[in-house]
Amino acid sequence: MKPLSRMRDVFVTGIGLTTWGYYEKVFQYDIGSEAIMAALKDAAMEWREIQAVFCGSVYQGTASGHQVIKEVGFTGIPIVNVENACSSSGSAFRLAYQSIAAEIYDKVLVLGVEVMPRGPIPSTAFRPWELASGFNVQPANYANLTVRYMKSSGATLEDLALVTVKNRKNGALNPKARFQKPITLEEVMQSRIIATPLRLLHCCPLADGAAALILCGRRNVKYRRRAMQVAASTLTSACYGEGYLDLVDSLKYPPDEGFVSLSARQAYEEAGCGPSDIDIVQAYDTVSPSELWDLEELGFCAHGEAPPLLRKGHFDLRGRLPVNTDGGLMSRGHPLGATSGGQLCEIITQLWGEAGARQVEGAKIGLAHSMGAGPNSSVTILKK
Amino acid sequence: MDNIRNARPLEEGLWTVADGGLSLLGHRCASCGEVFFPRRKCSHCAHCFRRTLEEIYLGPKGKIASFSVVMIAPAGDFYRGPVPYAYGCVDLPEGIRIKGLLARDYLDILAVAMEVRLSTEVLYVSDEEIPVEAFVFKPLKENRKDEQ
Repeated sequence: MKPLSRMRDVFVTGIGLTTWGYYEKVFQYDIGSEAIMAALKDAAMEWREIQAVFCGSVYQGTASGHQVIKEVGFTGIPIVNVENACSSSGSAFRLAYQSIAAEIYDKVLVLGVEVMPRGPIPSTAFRPWELASGFNVQPANYANLTVRYMKSSGATLEDLALVTVKNRKNGALNPKARFQKPITLEEVMQSRIIATPLRLLHCCPLADGAAALILCGRRNVKYRRRAMQVAASTLTSACYGEGYLDLVDSLKYPPDEGFVSLSARQAYEEAGCGPSDIDIVQAYDTVSPSELWDLEELGFCAHGEAPPLLRKGHFDLRGRLPVNTDGGLMSRGHPLGATSGGQLCEIITQLWGEAGARQVEGAKIGLAHSMGAGPNSSVTILKK
Repeated sequence: MDNIRNARPLEEGLWTVADGGLSLLGHRCASCGEVFFPRRKCSHCAHCFRRTLEEIYLGPKGKIASFSVVMIAPAGDFYRGPVPYAYGCVDLPEGIRIKGLLARDYLDILAVAMEVRLSTEVLYVSDEEIPVEAFVFKPLKENRKDEQ
């Protein structure tokens, strides 16, 4: 596999993000086209300049990207729809990155768009007998991992709740988040149980939302100051023997390295940097404990170190390593196919220094991680 | 085991009653020893990729590795059993961890490392009024204070 970083440099030159939330009678082409128009304006580009579209979504049915582009206006360009569960737009971003790095295109649009079905996530990434047995409750699948994480790391239920409190505090500074109100530790600890030991506020809310990013090769960058370089974009699936969601871990052949660590290691190699070089992180807080083990698996600290670091404020907006500066999935909400794109928009906004009240001073390099059913793990590193 | 006449399993081929006892139906790879449940459809071992899979009976004993009591109904109409319910990971002595339902009458006493035994339970009654059974893990008698 040829490292993409040794091919042509690729830059993000414009972003567009809708305000995420639950809306009445909204369609993916409404919010998708809104995000695209915002990204074009941001990049000072015309729609007819775009040479290809990669669109990530999960629940929008057949040819979802085409449905959005029909609204914007067809120009005959290839539109590729990417369904890769919660890594859909991260996977779409990687395809766009590859197509520019390989000099196939110069200007490509990445879209993540989702109008979520109401109620719990209707995941069907299970065998029929597993669905009939009720194994498709993702909070319960995460609860099984949480039970083991708490035992091996010493994390307490209060630690898990503090992740939500931190992220909702950040989200209060994000005008595009679904929830813009901070919450207290007591509110989390007293919310109703969804799947023991996880309570409602340990689980991320869902949302409708869209995110668009425009990627260009170096010679198509109009304003270098606003062009943020893609340092790495990786994608992995399960390593043999790993337990996650529908997968049960092998007792005989557990993997030496899991798919999250693998995706992070590949990203650091591609970017030529390490965890200590990263200024800001968008971690995958689909449930609050998953942010903790995610930070450990991404190499920011050793197993069991994330809960004490969290308590010390290490991952706060003004901490040593700010995590989920926009409030994460906990505040933004989780429109599955758009989530990676939303994470990347936040990294770009921070690198531009345009994050307003939640700006991290001097942020030069950021990492975003999304993962989910499949499983998939997608890591992206962006730098100034 | 519930003794229900005319009950049908959730899915054929998950378990059997052999030699008077209930067992899950799995595969073991004769080359690398890896164990699979349910039986694999693909003819090679998912670990070593050799075509040396043999059928194996799993259970009935197991130990809970992790579990969760679920308080919400799953999305979609796939699951038609009661809520709350519990499922978790159970380690079997044959060297495999599997995901399974935990018997509904014992949600309050479930614990990690608890020893359990394979059983079946009627999950729901179908529209044709046929009881539909699932395999479940039940705490051993010594853990069940409420049993005779």
